[in-house]
Amino acid sequence: MTVRLRGIQVESLSKSWGNTQAVKDVTFSVESGQFLVLLGPSGCGKSTTLRMIAGLEPVSGGSIHIGGNDVTHAPPARRGLSMVFQSYALFPHLNVAENILFGLKVRKVGRAERDERLKRVADMTGLSELLARKPAQLSGGQRQRVALARAIIAEHPVCLMDEPLSNLDAKLRHEMRVEIRALQQRLGMTVIYVTHDQVEAMSMADKVVLMRHGRIEQQGSPEEMYARPDTVFTATFLGTPPMNLIELADGAGGAVIKGMTDASVVAAGQGDGRLLGVRPEHVVLLDEGGLTARAESADYHGADTVVTALLGSQRINLRVPGRFALEQGAELRLGWRAEDVHFFDFESGRRCEQDALPRVA
Amino acid sequence: MTSSRLNQVYGWLLLLPAAVLLVAFTHYPTIRTLVDSTFSKSTATRPARFVGLDNYAMLLDDPVFWQVAVNNLIFALGTIPASIGLALVMALWVNGKLAGRGFLRLAYFTPTILPMVAVANIWLFFYTPGIGLIDQVLGLFGLPGRNWLGDSATVLPSLIVMTVWKEAGFFMIFYLAALQAIPPELKEAAMLEGAGRFTYLRRVLLPLLMPTTLFVLVNAVLNSFKLVDHLFILTKGGPNNASSLLLYYIYENAFSFFDTPYAATLTAVLLAVLALLAAGQFLILDKRVHYR
Repeated sequence: MTVRLRGIQVESLSKSWGNTQAVKDVTFSVESGQFLVLLGPSGCGKSTTLRMIAGLEPVSGGSIHIGGNDVTHAPPARRGLSMVFQSYALFPHLNVAENILFGLKVRKVGRAERDERLKRVADMTGLSELLARKPAQLSGGQRQRVALARAIIAEHPVCLMDEPLSNLDAKLRHEMRVEIRALQQRLGMTVIYVTHDQVEAMSMADKVVLMRHGRIEQQGSPEEMYARPDTVFTATFLGTPPMNLIELADGAGGAVIKGMTDASVVAAGQGDGRLLGVRPEHVVLLDEGGLTARAESADYHGADTVVTALLGSQRINLRVPGRFALEQGAELRLGWRAEDVHFFDFESGRRCEQDALPRVA
Repeated sequence: MTSSRLNQVYGWLLLLPAAVLLVAFTHYPTIRTLVDSTFSKSTATRPARFVGLDNYAMLLDDPVFWQVAVNNLIFALGTIPASIGLALVMALWVNGKLAGRGFLRLAYFTPTILPMVAVANIWLFFYTPGIGLIDQVLGLFGLPGRNWLGDSATVLPSLIVMTVWKEAGFFMIFYLAALQAIPPELKEAAMLEGAGRFTYLRRVLLPLLMPTTLFVLVNAVLNSFKLVDHLFILTKGGPNNASSLLLYYIYENAFSFFDTPYAATLTAVLLAVLALLAAGQFLILDKRVHYR
């Protein structure tokens, strides 16, 4: 199956209903064949952005280009894209084959070609045995496949997906994630995928656009965003458990952890109004030295245990491999490498550059 | 007594009130009607006697019965498709995004709330020759008025128009409810696939509305035989039986001519026709209806 190559450019896109602005000045681009994830908490404007790209929602400002053509005000059918809806939007009165072929019939594709494409797509999505069934007779995962098959049979170069996996159970979600990614790469489709699940974003995306309150918070590859979050929001939205954020204070000789009595300096320079960020997997237990913390609770996950400890009066999570025998109130010595530490301004939530002092020798 | 037997007794006791009402007012009258239709009319001098199917033979020879039957057929064909079609169009219209939607819905539903007798009085004012609304409007354009209800050529169409006006709003409510249960993503998915309004209507909306259509159709058919209240106000079946319908003819026979056996015979025929129609609708259409 060959698909024409096409990228998408979204320029200062905005959407408002009356006085509420749902999307504000959103700019990003997807290269042809790329998998872009629009990520964010519910109500952040990611679905609205997707619907504007699909043409289902009129645009209030800005422009959308697909394959170099301005489609800002074009009707949905003229944009050369297909879409997978969160609810799947299958036609309940049509069987699986008729659902998949709906678009081809509307566009008057010949019978022979229709049958051939149906066979290919049904094989690809594992639906060959189910073609005569009605959607009501299918499981959630199978319905999801039908929606997917309907999107790829069109052979449109661009596919939009609006939280397609949110109605599936955890195991199926994982399988479909792998499958969707594999299909996308095999067909060379350009995909814009909306989700609130950072795991989906991290595991599938070539590029992540993180949104918050209708604006783009940060965009980049999953690795970049995880390793170098620009804001507190990005830092805490990506990763489970989220990055630890510890309030700092001015101390003698540098920044110290706020509220700690045996305060030892953790960074050079200013401490007041700053947050120190460190991911749970970067916090290590030391035999001696480091910061003294009190063990509070342990959350066993199988491969590892997330231990919560009190650093002065502030909570910190750390990831310890295997099972961790917790003695409540026990004294722990914590440390981290200087390069794993991030600093943020408390007021603005923005990243700031500061030198961390190594806590691990 | 074992507990399952006791449960059976409870079950029957619970059914009893409804069963008594049904038997007393539906089943017994039906059977009594069928029995009555095989007896002759009783007079002061001669009591009723069993005549077998004589009443039915008389019915076949009764020209008024045939005229009334044809009237009813025309009335049904005139009101059923028109009211269902109009109901669907109105429902699609008030289901869309438009200003004053609530008011429009209410306006379309109003005729349904009115009793048929009140409706008939309103339309009597419309149809009155010379001073009626229709004739006055026609007069504005210099067109001659006519006696809408007094002319055997226009009386039945006049009644059909009025009935459609009354019924469409009621059926609209069912269509509107069904339309609101259809998720909007279906329309969006269809639009993305390049389907226009008409294709969406034909390929998605109408099939999904089929259960409603069947329900409305059964009601419309029943109503076309059941609704005769307006005849009492407007025409009394005239002129020259041109607007008489089956049920009205039954009423006349029973309570004006006091020919109970013949009225029973007509009733039996009407029941048979309705049963046949209902069975036909379900058998033929059920296969084509998708129930969610």
